[in-house]
Amino acid sequence: MLVVLAQFKYAVKYALGLDRAGNRFTVFPDDTFLVSYPKSGNTWVRFLLANLLHPDETVGFANINRLLPAPGVSSKRFLRKLRRPRILKSHEPFDVRFPKVIYLVRDPRDVVVSEYHFNLKKRYIEPTVSLEEFVKSFIVGKTAGYGSWWEHAASWIAARHGNPAFLLVRYEDLLADSVGETAKIAKFLGIQATQERLLAAVDRSSADRMRKLEKQQAEQWTGTKNTRKEIPFVRAAKSGGWKEALPRRLAEEIEIAWAPLLKFLSYELQSLQPDGVGVPAWIKTGEPLHRSGI
Amino acid sequence: MKKHLIVGVKRVLKLHRPGRTLLILPDDIFLVSFPKSGNTWTRFLLANLRSPEEPATWSNIDRMVPDPSSTTKREFDRMPRPRIIKSHECFDPRYPRVIYIVRDPRDVVVSQYHYHRKIRKIGDDSPIETFVNRFLAGETCPHGSWGQNVVTWLATSEGDPRFLLLRYEDMVADTSRELAKIVAFLSLTAGPEQIALAVERSSAARMRKLEQAQTDKSGLTKGSRKDLTFVRAASSGGWRSELPAPMVGKLEATWGPLMRHLGYELTSQFPSEARDYESLGILSSTPR
Repeated sequence: MLVVLAQFKYAVKYALGLDRAGNRFTVFPDDTFLVSYPKSGNTWVRFLLANLLHPDETVGFANINRLLPAPGVSSKRFLRKLRRPRILKSHEPFDVRFPKVIYLVRDPRDVVVSEYHFNLKKRYIEPTVSLEEFVKSFIVGKTAGYGSWWEHAASWIAARHGNPAFLLVRYEDLLADSVGETAKIAKFLGIQATQERLLAAVDRSSADRMRKLEKQQAEQWTGTKNTRKEIPFVRAAKSGGWKEALPRRLAEEIEIAWAPLLKFLSYELQSLQPDGVGVPAWIKTGEPLHRSGI
Repeated sequence: MKKHLIVGVKRVLKLHRPGRTLLILPDDIFLVSFPKSGNTWTRFLLANLRSPEEPATWSNIDRMVPDPSSTTKREFDRMPRPRIIKSHECFDPRYPRVIYIVRDPRDVVVSQYHYHRKIRKIGDDSPIETFVNRFLAGETCPHGSWGQNVVTWLATSEGDPRFLLLRYEDMVADTSRELAKIVAFLSLTAGPEQIALAVERSSAARMRKLEQAQTDKSGLTKGSRKDLTFVRAASSGGWRSELPAPMVGKLEATWGPLMRHLGYELTSQFPSEARDYESLGILSSTPR
């Protein structure tokens, strides 16, 4: 009976368009998606873009789901009524329907540390789960509902890298040169942004400011509501933390599993790789991303 | 609103087609390919292999090897497990085990061209050149371009023990041998006789005969032109006579390295900077 009631409730919600969209919503040809594996800086970029697009609003956790919506937590009706062109947040692995994509990627050795803390915060894992156990599940893609980090990055990069409607952004570059990378994203989105406006958006999205906002608004946002308050959502907000947080052995396990893609993304490996490990050959165009300042 | 209400009621009664919302079970097996790559044939092979007592036909195939876009949720829930499910989707990390069929894109485009004529998406006067250009851009079906579909699976899954890659051309050349690979992959207990029977019951000749008798009983052929058949040549290399050379060149220029990686011989030479896919084997130790 309860099942029938729940189904009826869903049918009514569905009829009214109030059911959560998840990945079952209509994609419009002028949509842009901000896509990343979880814990790769997506929320930060949402703040950056929201601040860039809405200079007159005070962007915070309380309104980020409205200013830069996430289909995973929004209703279909809400999404349908948004002003176009829409910019939507997503953690989906390759989705052929997404016409224009900003793909944010982060060193998986940092991602796993961040995700470990986040899963503790969310109570997705017991406090007794060790980092070692977590890394093992992470490598086989069992820690988030979006496949493994490799599957995620490989599916998007293999299908779209080199396509003018695909912008690959490294979290590490965004940290090293926030204004420069935000300018690239703005250009990709066709936003005319002055240096002043870019600086303001970066400033309003700083880790310090986001930490302050989190303290005030944690209960007003889907990402932090009812989670352990002693573990912050905005944590280190830096790169390379894995060098201290991750035992060498675990870092090497990740490197061995995913060396080709790490190489392509210019993430330095500390372990010796067997001969012949190069950039994945299925990456259709372009050279490895050689950047400075990692 | 009214339309939504009907959809909502259908949902409660489980008469809707689950599509992307299909609840995937841990023992599910997915039979995946880009469209027009031998998926229906393989569905027949698998259905005939699994149930020798009920030979596959056009009217029962949606129940035997279901398709989330045309089999209802109710039927899905009643199916014996493990289920073998048909799909044309690009990489999906939720699929627990995958048989991926790949076919030479030069044949795929010819097959899809004729199929689109059959289902009246294009007229007979529609030039194949236009179709090839749309095919390259991934505009002829909602499952990405051929290259995108193939590469999302290879890049993520090639070498994984839960991923079996088969070439349509190898299946045509030695159907029993390739079906035996599926049998091993799924740990089924089927001997050579059972395999031979499934191959025979899924032959192009038998499928053509069944198609004639049951054309309006299958979602694949219902309401389409009767002067064109769904089971067409059922062979490989037809592109050599059907596809104009400049179109062959265009396909090879776009997907040459990927085609070469899959063992499809190219007619044209490549500029040396074109990246080669030969070292794709480096992914073989990659966990999923």
